[in-house]
Amino acid sequence: MNPLSNTIAHASRIRVIAFHAFTQLVRMKVFYFLAFFALILIGSNFFNLPQHEGPEAAGVNILHSIKSWSLGAMTLFSVVLSIVATALLLPKDVEDRTLYTILAKPVPRLDYLAGKLLGVLLLVFVSLAMMDVLMTGILHIRTNMVMESQVAFAESRGHSAEQIALLKSDIMAQGATASLQGAVFSVFLRATIIASMALLISTFSTSTLFTTIISFLIYFMGHFQADARAAYFTSEAGTSDSFLARGISLLISLALPDFQLFNVIDAVIEGQVLPLFILGKLTLIGLFYAVFYVISSWFIFAKKEF
Amino acid sequence: MTESPPAVEIRHLVKDFQTSFKRQPLRAVDDVSIRIMPGEVYGLIGPNGSGKSTTMKALLGLVAPTAGQCAIFGKDSMKVDSRNEVGFLPENPYFYKHLSGEETLEFYGKLCGIKGKKLKDRVGELLELVDLKEASHRRIGGYSKGMLQRIGLAQALIQEPRLVILDEPTAGVDPVGSREIRDLIFKLKEQGITVFLCSHLLEQVQEVCDHVGIIFRGKMVKEGKLEDLIAIEDQTELVMKDASPELVAQIEALIKSDASASLVRTGKPRTTLERLFLRETVGRNDAK
Repeated sequence: MNPLSNTIAHASRIRVIAFHAFTQLVRMKVFYFLAFFALILIGSNFFNLPQHEGPEAAGVNILHSIKSWSLGAMTLFSVVLSIVATALLLPKDVEDRTLYTILAKPVPRLDYLAGKLLGVLLLVFVSLAMMDVLMTGILHIRTNMVMESQVAFAESRGHSAEQIALLKSDIMAQGATASLQGAVFSVFLRATIIASMALLISTFSTSTLFTTIISFLIYFMGHFQADARAAYFTSEAGTSDSFLARGISLLISLALPDFQLFNVIDAVIEGQVLPLFILGKLTLIGLFYAVFYVISSWFIFAKKEF
Repeated sequence: MTESPPAVEIRHLVKDFQTSFKRQPLRAVDDVSIRIMPGEVYGLIGPNGSGKSTTMKALLGLVAPTAGQCAIFGKDSMKVDSRNEVGFLPENPYFYKHLSGEETLEFYGKLCGIKGKKLKDRVGELLELVDLKEASHRRIGGYSKGMLQRIGLAQALIQEPRLVILDEPTAGVDPVGSREIRDLIFKLKEQGITVFLCSHLLEQVQEVCDHVGIIFRGKMVKEGKLEDLIAIEDQTELVMKDASPELVAQIEALIKSDASASLVRTGKPRTTLERLFLRETVGRNDAK
């Protein structure tokens, strides 16, 4: 088989396994669960929160609230889905012996792992896309409502056309911006890292519960990784003390992603712009960890006996 | 003309498993060698825990040999491409419950690189072969044990392999289902497909296999052609139909007259309980 047809064969097998994993998860009625929570979430955004701002800011806090709740829920769903779905798929195949029949076919173990991971990521992506559509739709409606009331208020106060244009652009910045879509994409990137990490853990644990618990622990630890490295391995001058300290610090960042990097989402909720290079950096980080974890999983899984 | 390589070649296979509590590893397979030529039906028999399934798993690359080599049609079993030519039915197979029988076969077919009309035709053909056409759209979760075994056999055959490995193909299946699976094995034999099966149901192995290996505590204790292994060399069987008592008496007298020969027993041959069961159940259904 020539290299091109070999690559096509690999891609085809990965696609088959990915779509199968996606179907398997969908038929577990995952979307019912998501839709239920998404509806609660979207509904909760219509609650009137106590307002501490003057009438010139009325409604803007609702836009904040919609973004904050939506992105919070997206983060929660994507993290839970990534960990639980990945932790479930591999041990289930081993327990049910379906893995025997798959690996007895001409399926390289790397293709199997990559397919399973991509299936989970496809599910997370579709879930986030559905939630994003809901969030964007509601934000769009709400932004228009806020805009109308604010413009009417400004006009009643006799503000100039420039002031009104500035007001409009400020309100638009709180709405469904491109940066907001970037923030949703960074939620997906974070989920990609977590799912790949859960895949690695599940290759040696074979227990769904163990994989789930350890993955959540690592996820939480990832939020303190940068602080811990700064506290233990960096001097006051801001440089690492020794070669050993630098080595340990590097190893920690290799094994444990710094999830604080993804806190750019908070700035987007505040209406700030998410620079493209930051999103590019996050994409590269996501890809790096996904590839690193999948290859590490393969090293373990390739030697695994069933 | 070069001789075609054996369908299965296991040479001095040893498999040790590390146990958590014992320092001494557990030897599941101990210096087992098997050679199966294309078109043969080989039965590996032995009690539970004797190493049958481990031998099969080593042949499929699911476990790595501690020592020795396994090859399928001359290709190393640890290499993925060796599995292009092999179909496997594991013991008590469970497939994805969310898929229907048809979807299951399509899934395995796509994994083997079959697609489009070819896949559709092959799936239809196999559903026909294993008599699951009517249940093809039902979810696997609702299949009976016998149906699971049959869909398992169909998935093993999806890429038209030259070798089929069956691990306890009739375990837990009722006599009717067991007979159907046996008939399928006969069909495979007719098509020239090599079958390597393991079972502890000896009568079944005797019925379908050309060659047999007996494995006990990980070691191959006896191996060879079935007819050679089960023949009792110093005895001769004579089965007669509609013989009168006088004729039987004459034959008995003739044997007595020979000093070197002796009569071991006379009587009526018996059918098996299985044949009786099938005649009384399937036969009655057919008659209706």
